Amino acid sequence: MTERKTVLIRYDEIGLKGKNRKYFEKCLLKNIKRELSCSDDISYRSPRGRILLDIPSSFAQECTTRLKKVPGIASFSIGVSMAPDFEAISALGVQWIEPKLLSAGSMKFCVRTRRSAKSFPQTSPEVNFEVGSRIMKQLSSKGLTVNIKEAEFVLEIEIGRLETVVFDNREPGLPGLPVGSSGNVLCLLSGGIDSPVSAYMMACRGCRVHFVFFDNQPFLGRGGYDKVLRLAKKINRFQARATLFVVPFQDMQSAIRDHCNEENRVVLYRRMMYRIAEEIADRYHFLALITGESLGQVASQTLENLAAVSCVTTLSVFRPLVGMNKDSIINKAIEIGTYETSIEPQPDCCSVFMPKNPVTRSKIPFLERDEGKIPWEELRDDALTRMEIIKVDDL
Amino acid sequence: MIYLDNAATTPMNGEVIERVQETMQKCFANSGTPYRIGLDAKRLIEKSAESIAGYLQIPSTHRLLFTSGGTESNNLFIKGLCFPDKKTAFLGLEHPSVTESLAFFKQFGNDPLSLLPFQVEGRLDLNSISTLNENRVKLLCLSHVNNELGTVNDPLQVASALEKESPQTKLFLDGVQAIGKIVLNPDMWKGLAGYSISGHKIHGPKGIGLLVYDSRLVLSPQMHGGKQQFGVRSGTLPLPLIMGLETAIQQAVERSEQNQKHLENLSRRLIQGLKCLQDQQSELNIRFNSLIDADATRQSPGMVNFSFSPVEGEVVLHHLEQKDIFVGMGSACSAQSKEPSKILMGLGLNEEQARCSLRISFSENNTLEDVDQFLEAFGVAYQTLYPTFLQKA
Repeated sequence: MTERKTVLIRYDEIGLKGKNRKYFEKCLLKNIKRELSCSDDISYRSPRGRILLDIPSSFAQECTTRLKKVPGIASFSIGVSMAPDFEAISALGVQWIEPKLLSAGSMKFCVRTRRSAKSFPQTSPEVNFEVGSRIMKQLSSKGLTVNIKEAEFVLEIEIGRLETVVFDNREPGLPGLPVGSSGNVLCLLSGGIDSPVSAYMMACRGCRVHFVFFDNQPFLGRGGYDKVLRLAKKINRFQARATLFVVPFQDMQSAIRDHCNEENRVVLYRRMMYRIAEEIADRYHFLALITGESLGQVASQTLENLAAVSCVTTLSVFRPLVGMNKDSIINKAIEIGTYETSIEPQPDCCSVFMPKNPVTRSKIPFLERDEGKIPWEELRDDALTRMEIIKVDDL
Repeated sequence: MIYLDNAATTPMNGEVIERVQETMQKCFANSGTPYRIGLDAKRLIEKSAESIAGYLQIPSTHRLLFTSGGTESNNLFIKGLCFPDKKTAFLGLEHPSVTESLAFFKQFGNDPLSLLPFQVEGRLDLNSISTLNENRVKLLCLSHVNNELGTVNDPLQVASALEKESPQTKLFLDGVQAIGKIVLNPDMWKGLAGYSISGHKIHGPKGIGLLVYDSRLVLSPQMHGGKQQFGVRSGTLPLPLIMGLETAIQQAVERSEQNQKHLENLSRRLIQGLKCLQDQQSELNIRFNSLIDADATRQSPGMVNFSFSPVEGEVVLHHLEQKDIFVGMGSACSAQSKEPSKILMGLGLNEEQARCSLRISFSENNTLEDVDQFLEAFGVAYQTLYPTFLQKA
């Protein structure tokens, strides 16, 4: 039989939930199972407040990288599940500490116990003392000292009702809520830096984020399309089961360009994008639109223009980046691994469609008058019929 | 599919692929090892280098190094010879692997001399050579055939002008776009300090190229290691790619006269066709950036670059792509990369003209029919797009 390890997963915000807690726990467990589905040799159990996995030792490293991509985990530890027997725990502690101690010459250590099974006869400090003193007995002569505040090695013991887990590490997870626990939303994805970050942030709030991309082919080549496919795939690593809708936008853009006021173009494009996104959201029961807009970042993102765009839809529009500056958005993009792809030089809009002086404070009546000049409902419906629907998991 | 971007790269020839495959399967040994199979590999490489020298009629005064391609050859020669303080000059219309190598010297206080004021029709005006003497320039770097325009700096003429007016200036030519497209005159070698060649531009493999240089020159290595290739360019030699390169060069040279004629026919047809289109469509205004009606000492027949304001080249490119026709361009229309082609701007075009341009480049695989189909598709695309761009202007 292969050597086994136990992974102890601590929830993030789910811990604060009351009566809905079961629902969130189920979501998280489901997501973890999907993320780790590459191994069929894992058993799962969820005693109160924790998720425990039993994995083969050889899978530990892979498991660590994968768990770090599952939103809703405060932290996790990989250790060993055993009976709450002080002798056995101390022996394991000695086995872990000794090699490190020998190579370092001296080491400060402590034992920390958490006892959720209150029926266990000893209190946590008592367990600490029992285990700690046994380890000290064997290793104090080799340079081991006890230091609770500045410990270099922490042996942790979690005594649960059904099992006890011993470990010496804590990996931070991806905080937030489990994907899917909040519902489905639709993110307007461009090839830029911002929209992937906004999608990621909503995934960490429990949303399953689907994507819509407005495609400029043939004015621009397939490069933009390919890039968005790659970005969607990267964000999907945090959630799975997303759909990408690719909407041909050329005809709509040409109509706006040819018939509407030049300075209003960008706001009009965005109003149409929102309308198309709303149609998709209605069809698929998505509950909100997500964009990467950040207040004042470019001409189309002033308060007036954001308002002029939002008012075309009755759906909630969330802009998780609205109060962030560019630097922190970039840092986030680097952190989640989308930055490199986002900055690849790929035109996301042909200059022929860009106005020389875009309006910064658009007036809704003027926009509506412009829209009266084009058959936008027809163009919208036509774009929707030609829309390509891609399952991001299959990419 | 109609592929008209042969200056970007070319498809490999069947015989080249066979040769590469065969070598991959049969000869894996490291040519630097002392046992039989290694020595066999070494012998194959030596033979290949000899054959290449033979095909190109490279004299024994010149040495031949295998590199990863044109960019490496240009970097190796320019940096290897002139780093950090030897004075260099260039026309300013070269490929980035030349201009950026030279620009690298700037941080050491060694600014290369740009001869852009002396460019005429995309070529170096030979009357400017005395400037090189005045500025004590040690190395002049030029394209043999310009990579966006196809204009030619004739090595014989440049070398003889240098000999007369600036004898201390050596000549380096980036020959990547020349071989296979125009007939190389073997007399050119004696006037050349260095010359670069790339495999994939002549239906050979990617990842292999040549640097031919005067063996009396000392190049400091840019890649340090096992001291292969006289210690100038370390790294285990890629035998299969070298075999492929040899076959590609052999075919390019053998067919070069016939190719040059074929390419001349194609470009003539294209130029003629564009002029006809212009007569038919009153709104179409073609400006040829390449030379038309020029012989191969001034213009490569493999390339035609032209502008057609106000419609942007990139947009036409993608419309042609939909018809399965692939062409090249020197500039981008994106909102992100606003830089139009430096070469076209250097030629004196304004930004719009530079943006509204395409580069058609031929290879022996193209036919007159390809040209006709391109012309038809281009005419349609232009007509469709013109109203859109008219408004913008």
